Amino acid sequence: MFDGLKQKLRNVQEAFGSSLMAEQPSSVEPGKQKEESPPSFARKVKILVTDGELVVGEKEIRAPLQELEMVLLENDVALPVTDEILRAVRERLVGTHRRVGESPDLLVRKALRESLLQVLGKGFDLLEYCNGHKKPVRILFTGVNGTGKTTTVAKVGHYLKEHGCSVVIASGDTFRAGALEQLAIHAERVGIRVIQHQQGGDPSAVLYDAVEYAGAHGVDVVLADSAGRFHNRVNLMNQLEKMKRVMDPDLVVYVDEAVAGNDAVIRAQEFAELVGTDAVILTKADMDSRGGAAVSVAHTVGKPIMFLGTGQGYSDILPFTPELVVSELLGA
Amino acid sequence: MVLDHLGASLKDALKKLAGKTVVDRAAVEELVRDLQRALLGADVNVRLVKGLSEAIRTRSVDEQPPKGMSVREHVLRIVYQELIRLMGSTTDVSLQHQRILLAGLQGSGKTTTTAKLARYFQRKGMKVAVICADTFRPGALDQLSTLCQQIGVTCYGEPGKEDAVAIVKKGLAKLSGTEVVIIDTQGRHALEKTLIDEIIQINTVSKADHRWLVIDAALGQQASEQARRFHEAIDIDGVIITKMDGTAKGGGALSAVSETRSGIVFIGAGETIEDLERFDPDSFISRLLGMGDLKSLAERAEEAIGEQEVDVNALMRGRFTLRDMYKQLEAINRMGPLKQIMSMLPLGSLEVPSDAIDVTSTKMSRYRVIMDSMTPLELDDPNLISGSRIHRIARGAGASPEEVRELLKYFRMMQRALKGMRGGKYNVQRMMKRFSGMQ
Repeated sequence: MFDGLKQKLRNVQEAFGSSLMAEQPSSVEPGKQKEESPPSFARKVKILVTDGELVVGEKEIRAPLQELEMVLLENDVALPVTDEILRAVRERLVGTHRRVGESPDLLVRKALRESLLQVLGKGFDLLEYCNGHKKPVRILFTGVNGTGKTTTVAKVGHYLKEHGCSVVIASGDTFRAGALEQLAIHAERVGIRVIQHQQGGDPSAVLYDAVEYAGAHGVDVVLADSAGRFHNRVNLMNQLEKMKRVMDPDLVVYVDEAVAGNDAVIRAQEFAELVGTDAVILTKADMDSRGGAAVSVAHTVGKPIMFLGTGQGYSDILPFTPELVVSELLGA
Repeated sequence: MVLDHLGASLKDALKKLAGKTVVDRAAVEELVRDLQRALLGADVNVRLVKGLSEAIRTRSVDEQPPKGMSVREHVLRIVYQELIRLMGSTTDVSLQHQRILLAGLQGSGKTTTTAKLARYFQRKGMKVAVICADTFRPGALDQLSTLCQQIGVTCYGEPGKEDAVAIVKKGLAKLSGTEVVIIDTQGRHALEKTLIDEIIQINTVSKADHRWLVIDAALGQQASEQARRFHEAIDIDGVIITKMDGTAKGGGALSAVSETRSGIVFIGAGETIEDLERFDPDSFISRLLGMGDLKSLAERAEEAIGEQEVDVNALMRGRFTLRDMYKQLEAINRMGPLKQIMSMLPLGSLEVPSDAIDVTSTKMSRYRVIMDSMTPLELDDPNLISGSRIHRIARGAGASPEEVRELLKYFRMMQRALKGMRGGKYNVQRMMKRFSGMQ
């Protein structure tokens, strides 16, 4: 997973490294011939002489930064997020002191790592959350059409069940033809009870019934599916808001696909603003995805990524741990 | 669509260019950079964007502007040409016996598009049937057959069976009398080898005339790679973009177009079964430039309005009654969502706010309800409608008397407008003035 980004990021690291290396001899030897930026140059020499350290300048890293920009864009990191990461890396690198013998590679890797970690935030441990929370835990799934909400609900249900939680699913997609049947079959396969009404019914009522059912039967977790909707449809978003009001969920989980491009940022933001988002699940991460959407969405919403969907089976769901992902990307 | 959004950025960039006293290399460079950002923001493949900027750069320097054309115009022309090239070729959708195979990633909207396509061909008067070859996703057959039931199209599928190739084979044999057969397949991505093998087999068995790739407008850089692999497998000859009603720009589809060397055939933009539009690069570009797409509008009007329904001559004589208005509203309704129609009108750069359109279309359906509770006499002679009648109509329609009065006001305005039309150029101008005064 994320192989594309991984490979490219390593190349960029090398580029950063070599451009810093190349700079080394030129600033040690030529004394005072170059007067292009006198104050900083004088300071550089002073620091070099007194402390035996080099100062990383803006110029030396411009080319590798441009390369990094292209790499991020090619890997689906949205434009505004790319700008943000570049700014962070530049700020981290420019003006840092580096010992003469020290490898620039380490410095670059550290800066990249910190910037990425900052963007990706912390992970989210659903099991821990469920165990430490008053039962039943109510979770509402939201997102645009076709990102895989229904399948994800089944997968999360399966995951929770495997780990000893009892689960009930609310079939809140009463709009799409075949959605009820789809969820019913999924639930039957993983052995979870589904609460559903007929197609075209009020989804809020379904959610209410499911919560009532969970309370009466001592079920730990309620997972509520919802119909896919675009964030620019006022009426549908109002409906979602009503569902949220009726269900009063502990967690609102936003589901998007890992292959989405720039739009991922726009819609993640709109959903977060209109109905709130507590955690994110990215699906279809097995499509040779480049991982950019993860970076974009996490940065935009500022909420943790909880799971990655990685295939068509019920157990194809991975808890997301940022440190692991970043370490893998940068080969630390 | 990519360029809709690009339209604004493009205009900004071009305005900048127009403000420059000299159009030199630096000015071109700035224009290219602005374009790059707009295209990348719309998910167009990084390599395509690089190619485009390179082409604009070299062509504006190397090519001599034709006689009588300023450097500025020359650069603009190059930009437009390169943009049109990016849109891919024009694709033909013929109305004859054909089999269409739809392929695409999971959740890209194949099943919905299958139903929309069936509706498209049905509206053109073709005999259509669909085959559901998605044996994996639970509820897929239910979804497709429910949608097909809504439009009265035959849907072939075998619940509980797992061999998609056999289903297609049997389905085709059974549906041999239909003119257009559309095959919906399971969502798959290019790395799932068994599924790719399956679609190759379906393609061979069905001898499909068209193999269209369905692409989600939000798909990012991944689009090229996926399109390339699908193209290798079954030789894609057209691309359908779905979910264009969101905020996604659809740049991924352009990458797919370039990988498969085909063009965009249709655009799906909405949740109802009617929300499918033909795509034609020329009309699209002219729409971008604010020239409107009257060709598609006329086509649609022809489909929706039967001949004897609106008596144009009576209208021109000024005999316009509420009954005529009712028919008009119905016809407009049949032409599809108002939003689509509006986008085809030559409104230039005039931006119609989308909530205004939403209000108008709900209002139109309200008007029809109100007219439904009028007597035939009232419909023929609106002057009959007095205060007490207004109250009766309002009660009958569950509306307020104000709404009924508003409807009558709207009707009088239409009537006056049509009377004005009869009187030649001067009156038309006055009418335009009246309309613009209303906005």
